[in-house]
Amino acid sequence: MLDIVKLSHRYITWFLHHKKVVPLVFLAPFLIVFLVFKVYPVILAIIMSFQNFQGIKSQDWVGFTNYENVFELVRFSQALTNTTVYTIGTLLVLIPLPLVLAVLLDSGRVIASTVFRVLIFLPALTSLVVAGTVFRLILAKDGFLNLFLEGALGMDRLRWLEVSELALPSLILIATWRWTGMNILYFNSGLVNIPSELYESAAIDGASPWQMFLRITLPMLRPTTFFVVVLSIIGGYQVFVEPFILYAGGAGPGDGGLTLALLIYRTAFTSFNFGTAAAMGVILALIIFIFSLIQFRFFGVLGGED
Amino acid sequence: MSKLRLITLALVVAIVLGSFGMALAQDTTELSLWVFVDRHGLYMQNAAERWNEAHPDRPIEIVYEQIDYTQMHDNLLASLLVGMGAPDLADVEIKKFATFTKGDIQFLPLNEVIDPYREEIIESRLAPYTANGNNYGIDYHLGAFVMYYNTGILEEAGVDVDSITTWDDYIAAGQQVTRDADGDGEIDVYMASIEVTDIFSAYALMLMNGGGTYSADGEIILESEANIEALQFLQDLVHVHGIARPASGGGHHSPDHFIDLVEGRIASLWMPQWYMTRYPDNMASALADVAVVRPMPVFEEGGYTTTMGGGTGTAITNQIDPDKIALAAEFLTFAKLTYDANVLLWTDLGFDPMRLDVYDDEALLITMSDFSGEMPFIHIKAGLGNVAPEYTGPFYPEMATIFQTTGLYDLIENQMDPAEVLANAAEELRAMGAEF
Repeated sequence: MLDIVKLSHRYITWFLHHKKVVPLVFLAPFLIVFLVFKVYPVILAIIMSFQNFQGIKSQDWVGFTNYENVFELVRFSQALTNTTVYTIGTLLVLIPLPLVLAVLLDSGRVIASTVFRVLIFLPALTSLVVAGTVFRLILAKDGFLNLFLEGALGMDRLRWLEVSELALPSLILIATWRWTGMNILYFNSGLVNIPSELYESAAIDGASPWQMFLRITLPMLRPTTFFVVVLSIIGGYQVFVEPFILYAGGAGPGDGGLTLALLIYRTAFTSFNFGTAAAMGVILALIIFIFSLIQFRFFGVLGGED
Repeated sequence: MSKLRLITLALVVAIVLGSFGMALAQDTTELSLWVFVDRHGLYMQNAAERWNEAHPDRPIEIVYEQIDYTQMHDNLLASLLVGMGAPDLADVEIKKFATFTKGDIQFLPLNEVIDPYREEIIESRLAPYTANGNNYGIDYHLGAFVMYYNTGILEEAGVDVDSITTWDDYIAAGQQVTRDADGDGEIDVYMASIEVTDIFSAYALMLMNGGGTYSADGEIILESEANIEALQFLQDLVHVHGIARPASGGGHHSPDHFIDLVEGRIASLWMPQWYMTRYPDNMASALADVAVVRPMPVFEEGGYTTTMGGGTGTAITNQIDPDKIALAAEFLTFAKLTYDANVLLWTDLGFDPMRLDVYDDEALLITMSDFSGEMPFIHIKAGLGNVAPEYTGPFYPEMATIFQTTGLYDLIENQMDPAEVLANAAEELRAMGAEF
């Protein structure tokens, strides 16, 4: 009996001291899930994009036909434009706004800042199905947004849900509601890492808060900003749930809210053409990859300039 | 002695096996069913109860799951694609059905069990669920288009609802009804709302004018003169006669549209008969005193009096246990095609039957508190003089998507020429591989 305990003890000690095995074992749950649910489908999608995969039957190889088909679809260029505009729109809002809010919340001049932090972060945890219905009511012609704009700014009531030009602004509005809190969290963690000595010595040298923000906060937040921008671009190009929920499975009036991911979904699940849908997916992945690369260079992360 | 023993043993074995077999036969067969409308699941459960009374030797239990419309169809498609996880029976909506017929069809043909009922049922109701001559689904209802009026608004404008029989009457009445009620210079009461993010308002007119998406022999007839005329008519209702407007939120199932109806801003709309269930379900019976249904107005004397809209076919998937197939198929026809089932379809479920011979049954003459205490069935029946059939085909889902997204938006919001709208749709379908 004692021998068994001794023996198992020896194995555990051996295991715990084995620097190659231990990390792998601890990483295994993630790695397995990652391989099965991410890598495998990606490989499968690439294979599918070269197959005539329509409906349920055996597939044959068709070379680049699916890719040619994609560029023939009128909706593809529309979806690409919409998605790009949406991504730029979210970048214009979701970088400066959370940055300013994070600095304000961090400045110690806001009372009950924890309450605000929680409130701003809550949307990220809210069910989008519920939010979709609420936003339909908010964006309705007699909805809260129109009443607010009319009351506060004297604007005419807009048909947010009914004209295609307002589809993307509506979606950006939802994205702002949903992701501001998340981005504040990122910026906040960046702010915490800025040594307070910098501000103290700047204050001694007579720098104004605005100068400190420009010369210390912004440069020191560069890695965080980079991270948030990359995430926002990836998220922007992948946007699916917001229009899907807001327009109940559609893409808004006149397809004004049609995004690439929605078009992929439509091609796969309405036309049952998985081959073409997979080709679109590969194209979308390439777009995101190229954008990320450009940013890596632009921010000098790869070159190691910092 | 040994012979006797053998016989005794054989008897014992026979009795044991026999009783075992009987016990097996009386075991309830469980059939799983996916629906996206809860009413459908409840109806099938009730039908199972009636089946069990009629066939105590072959009891059935329907275990249904209600899943959201889009998700249910996606889940079904995915489970059929991978070959596991699909239910025994599944509801498939008309706009989605053709998607499931691409490639090797994963539903079981129902021709044989439908055959005994073909004489009585409206044959073209089977067309949407038919591919290569096989019937793969049985609908719940006919889904005939009717006009829904708010008599409160009409009476205020001095219009008698029963005086409207043609579209010309409808337009004339509409001009009396459509007005600026609160005097702020903006029209706030319209005769009609129309859908721009769904197909019903447009398809009804196209079909009743002799057009549609597919012909009886499966040709795409999108660019037909009848369709151009119908869409022109729809556009004119909004922009020339000024009596109709796009439904708030784009369609007749939008929450803000229901608010418009309840607030009395829309005097009428045309939708299939099943839209009646939205009055209690989505509007809490708020219009019970003023809502009525009437037959559709007609374009011309002797023309089509109505058509069919929407629909859901129940299919048997190929993942069902082979031992259950015969029972499931027989139950499906029992639940949907028998005479009694069609009576109950109206009295229980509130859907118009697809068997014409029950239309004279007095059991259907029930009053409905949600519709001004009238007997709506009289009016539904009155509209069934000449039903325009609807045919579908492989690109039916894509067509619906085009109409729902850009087609009707261009027609109504951008006031695009109807011929151009249809030509654009045709061009896009050809790019997707449709040949016509």
